[in-house]
Amino acid sequence: MLAPNVKIIVLLGVMIGGAIIVGTSDARLPGNDQGYAPVQPIAYSHRLHASELGIDCRYCHYGAETSPSAGIPPTSVCMTCHTSVTASGDTLRAEKARADAAGEKPRRVFSSEIEKLYEYLGLDENAKPKPGATPKPIPWIRVHDLPDYVYFDHRPHVGRMECQACHGPVETMERVRQETSLSMGWCVECHRINVPGTGGVLLPGQEHPRADHHVSTDCSVCHY
Amino acid sequence: MTHQPMNPTPDAEDALLPVEGIAGSRRSFLRLAGFGIASTVLAGCSRGPVRRAVTYLEAPDGIVAGRGYKMATTCAGCTARCGALARCRDGRPIKLEGLPDHPLSGGGLCAVGQAEVLSLYDAQRFDGPRAARAKTTWANADREVARVLAKVRKDGGKVRVLTETVTSPSTQAAIDGFCALVKDGRHVVYDALSSSAILDAHERTHGRRVLPRYRFDRAEVIASFDADFLGTWISPVGFARDYASGRRPDGDGAKMSRHWQFEARVSLTGGRADRRLRVAPWETGAALAGLCDLLGKKAGRTSPASGSAASAPHGDHLAGLADELWAARGRSIVVCGDDDVGTQTLANLANDLLGNYGTTVDLERPSRQKLGRDGALSELRTELASGQVALLIVDGANPVYDLAFPGGLGGAIEKAGLLVSTAGLEDETSQLAHVVCPSPHFLEAWDDAEPIEGILSLTQPTVPPLRDARSLRASLSVWSGGAADDRALVEAHWKQSVHPRAVPEQRFATFFRQALHDGFIELPARRRDPAPFQLAGVRLPDPPAKPDGGRLAVVVYPKVSMLDGRHAHNPWLQELADPVSRIAWESYAVLSPATAERLDVAEGDVVRLRTDADGSPVALPVHLQLGQHDGVVAVARGYGRSGTDRFADIGPDWWEGEATVGPGGRIGESAAHWLTVHGETIRTTGTAVAIATTSDHRALASVQEYHSLVVPPHLAPEHGEIRRAARTVELDRFREDPEHEIHGAHHHPTGNLWPADHAPEGNRWGMVVDLSACTGCSGCVVACQAENNIPVVGRDEVQRHREMSWMRIDRYHQGDPDDVQISHQPMMCQHCDNAPCESVCPVLATIQSSDGLNQQVYNRCVGTRYCANTCPYKVRRFNWFEYPRKSELQNHALNPDVTVRSRGVMEKCSMCVQRIQEARIEARRQGVELRDGDIQVACQDSCPAQAITFGDLADPKSEVSKKAAGARAYRVLEETQVEPAVRYLAQVRNRRS
Repeated sequence: MLAPNVKIIVLLGVMIGGAIIVGTSDARLPGNDQGYAPVQPIAYSHRLHASELGIDCRYCHYGAETSPSAGIPPTSVCMTCHTSVTASGDTLRAEKARADAAGEKPRRVFSSEIEKLYEYLGLDENAKPKPGATPKPIPWIRVHDLPDYVYFDHRPHVGRMECQACHGPVETMERVRQETSLSMGWCVECHRINVPGTGGVLLPGQEHPRADHHVSTDCSVCHY
Repeated sequence: MTHQPMNPTPDAEDALLPVEGIAGSRRSFLRLAGFGIASTVLAGCSRGPVRRAVTYLEAPDGIVAGRGYKMATTCAGCTARCGALARCRDGRPIKLEGLPDHPLSGGGLCAVGQAEVLSLYDAQRFDGPRAARAKTTWANADREVARVLAKVRKDGGKVRVLTETVTSPSTQAAIDGFCALVKDGRHVVYDALSSSAILDAHERTHGRRVLPRYRFDRAEVIASFDADFLGTWISPVGFARDYASGRRPDGDGAKMSRHWQFEARVSLTGGRADRRLRVAPWETGAALAGLCDLLGKKAGRTSPASGSAASAPHGDHLAGLADELWAARGRSIVVCGDDDVGTQTLANLANDLLGNYGTTVDLERPSRQKLGRDGALSELRTELASGQVALLIVDGANPVYDLAFPGGLGGAIEKAGLLVSTAGLEDETSQLAHVVCPSPHFLEAWDDAEPIEGILSLTQPTVPPLRDARSLRASLSVWSGGAADDRALVEAHWKQSVHPRAVPEQRFATFFRQALHDGFIELPARRRDPAPFQLAGVRLPDPPAKPDGGRLAVVVYPKVSMLDGRHAHNPWLQELADPVSRIAWESYAVLSPATAERLDVAEGDVVRLRTDADGSPVALPVHLQLGQHDGVVAVARGYGRSGTDRFADIGPDWWEGEATVGPGGRIGESAAHWLTVHGETIRTTGTAVAIATTSDHRALASVQEYHSLVVPPHLAPEHGEIRRAARTVELDRFREDPEHEIHGAHHHPTGNLWPADHAPEGNRWGMVVDLSACTGCSGCVVACQAENNIPVVGRDEVQRHREMSWMRIDRYHQGDPDDVQISHQPMMCQHCDNAPCESVCPVLATIQSSDGLNQQVYNRCVGTRYCANTCPYKVRRFNWFEYPRKSELQNHALNPDVTVRSRGVMEKCSMCVQRIQEARIEARRQGVELRDGDIQVACQDSCPAQAITFGDLADPKSEVSKKAAGARAYRVLEETQVEPAVRYLAQVRNRRS
């Protein structure tokens, strides 16, 4: 039988230890998917497209300005470039050099991921429909997924703040990760410090000018 | 209500803890429970099921995921063919609304039209053709028809196409072309809700079988003999809009028509009339003859009706009516809903004596909404019975159900050589059909319509076909050797027949595209010789005999939700309480209170109705209706339809739950067998029935009486408590002293318990409901149901007062049985500034928003139901169950912008906050100010009478503020000082004492 004070010390130790484990691990409250970064059916790199190639977010996610949902692009959007771009620039250049040296037409070379894209779309290597193949959409896995009782709308946010404010530095991500918690408290934090109609947007941590007049925090702004 | 244990097993506790040794031990139970909770929490920390985001391969033109858009189309819920606007999302329609600026319906849409979107997603619709009640291919079905056609060409035989009124010019052309292919082909038209007598009467008196377009907007005095023109008669949405425009008691261009109604049962229209008189079915003709006599004397013209005023019922009133009509010559209207051709010719005579033809009764641009000829059916019956009809094609009609009466089509239809039905959903006729070539729903099809001559509208698909179906037009084209491309067929017709009459200088493609976008075009009227009135055509009425021996005359009538029964499969319409009886999910025998007393029956008592002709009695529960004629029993048609057995398990599944269907496994009983053949028309009134009482009782699913508040006499204030929730004033008194008439006699307590510390900032959303305009049509109730994902609960739950509708139409009676007046009051959450519900909620689940809305936060609600108990308006609804939404297809009709509530939370009108948000965000995106009228809430949007105005009460220039400041404005139960945001405008009646 242990002395009572030993019991208390053990209990405290367990609690503190538990707190450290919870604090440093991936453990989260239920429903909070911060850090979620599922493996996608095609290893599409936002780093390559958004940063290296400098494509605007809204080129693919064109719904962001006009629709509540930014949208995941139809595969036809991918094919605007990938009809001709089928592998990395280096690979394509190497093939052209090889073909030039051999005095023949360059062959189509495919990266493994673009090959998957063509497979989904049922296209042959000349981007023509393969006989008998049915084009299938790419079954992307949703990363940023709010519960069904929340109505987030991209329209009032896009143009007033950077996409990164909520989605994190997507342009650095090889695989997209949910950077922020997307919890209600996190939304409200921003709504409380921003004044409507001023154009500029403050992010958490920045000082807010007028506490009595801010972007609506009415329940019915998001829940109906 | 009795409570039973959920699990009556005696050893339930043992079952919970089956491990020997620890059973019954409290500590071990806690240990297991603790483990269970811990594992649940741990499970919650991990990611839920992976959700896929499946994209378009190629986005359709103009469609952006998540963004709503609208498409103009034409409602085909009945033959009125109102303009409709389909609100779509991601390639599918989610809501139907009225098409603004449509020359017929002017942006209104009725309950049936609103509910059509649910019918589109009906999983029981036929998928592909059927032969001998089994699936087949189109090729096989076509081969079968071609075989019969070939045989007809060789051996002779009759080909008949039996339809309801065909409003589509392209389909009409296809039918005419098809009938011309064979030697004896003919198109037979009948309407279950028929205007055949009016058409026949005009053939007699004007030499042309036309249905005039009635212009209630131009009429200052309206005399209606049994015509329910605001409810179900010919074109109720257009009529309601016109009628309301002639009844604006205040404001700019104030005018107030005077409306007389003569009828046996109490119709929606009759309840609104300024003067309503009870006339039995056997007296209608005599009353009209009396009126014609009086008018003829004034005009100095004799007619067959001369001398009949002396014997007419309500002689004094008729004299008064004649004076009023005569004073408003050319600005008055006489309409009649009777099935007797003679009676209808008298209505024509009255309109001619008054000079109404050419003004309020338009023959230049007649209506094409009812073209049926009842008389053609008897000939068809003879042909069928003698086996001469080799091919019978039935489209848009259900004759086996509609005409199931002695002398109707009845069983003769089975003698057709080949019976082809185009029903999209199984009905009584398609059950007998040899071949079923299902028609598409109008929301997934191409079509056109010409409801009024010169007003043409188009129907375009709003969704790819959900079912393998083919329109009659396409089928006929195939059977005539053409192609089945429906769009091409419609376009070809428009290119050939419409475009040259419209703008021949414009390219056809441009013209057609514009017409598709607008939804309708207007053409100049066809030139015709004038059709003068011929007195020789007038015939004296031939009324039904007055029943003798204590029997009653049956009045078979259509209800606004059921019409002729074509929408019996639609749960929204079944659950829509009738605006007059306030009963849902049921058909019943309506008796006047005096007759019920004579028969010694009470509300809900089951009686048996027996006619002479057939021996089998029909058992129906009794409903008492103030103001009904004592000599009649009224029964709604459209009930007892096959296929309503699907509603057997529509409600929540629990141990006390009862089936929604009646004893016969269906919803209600059919009233078709009381119809009779009467000369060239089918008569819906007058069949004599004997009524026998039974010991059975069937509680009716009424949504009205239980909300009555009765103050015990010892608690009531001095003069008894009079709470005028729905206020009515008489026009003369209102003009003299509006303030006193609306507010004068009202109890105003002083002092306010509520602190004035919560003024809204910015906007203050509010609503004004004009009770003078509201007809009670209930379109708003279904609009709200569609917009806000309101579940259907079934008959049993409605009867337990657990219906979920956020908006209800309260009905109030006034006056005595001889002259009953009905007021309708749309009632929804009043969004009080001092909301009592907010004060009592222990978890802040209902709180005020900064713009004055009373918000309901579902995720906070724990279901104490305190708020519903404290609400003075009784508008809060509690989710007692997870209401079944079993049909995945039907769930496509859910509005993705509104949460589907789960069990255990309270809900109520949100003032369509999703629409407020949408308009706000869209205005901000476009960088423009939100203008008054940008936000249209669902109930307001399609109101045929434009009775509802929504807007910002904080803006004094807004329409809603102006109306709220008007003399007629008041708030319901304002003495409670809850400061509701909904104002009502008192109903004004043009009564003269």
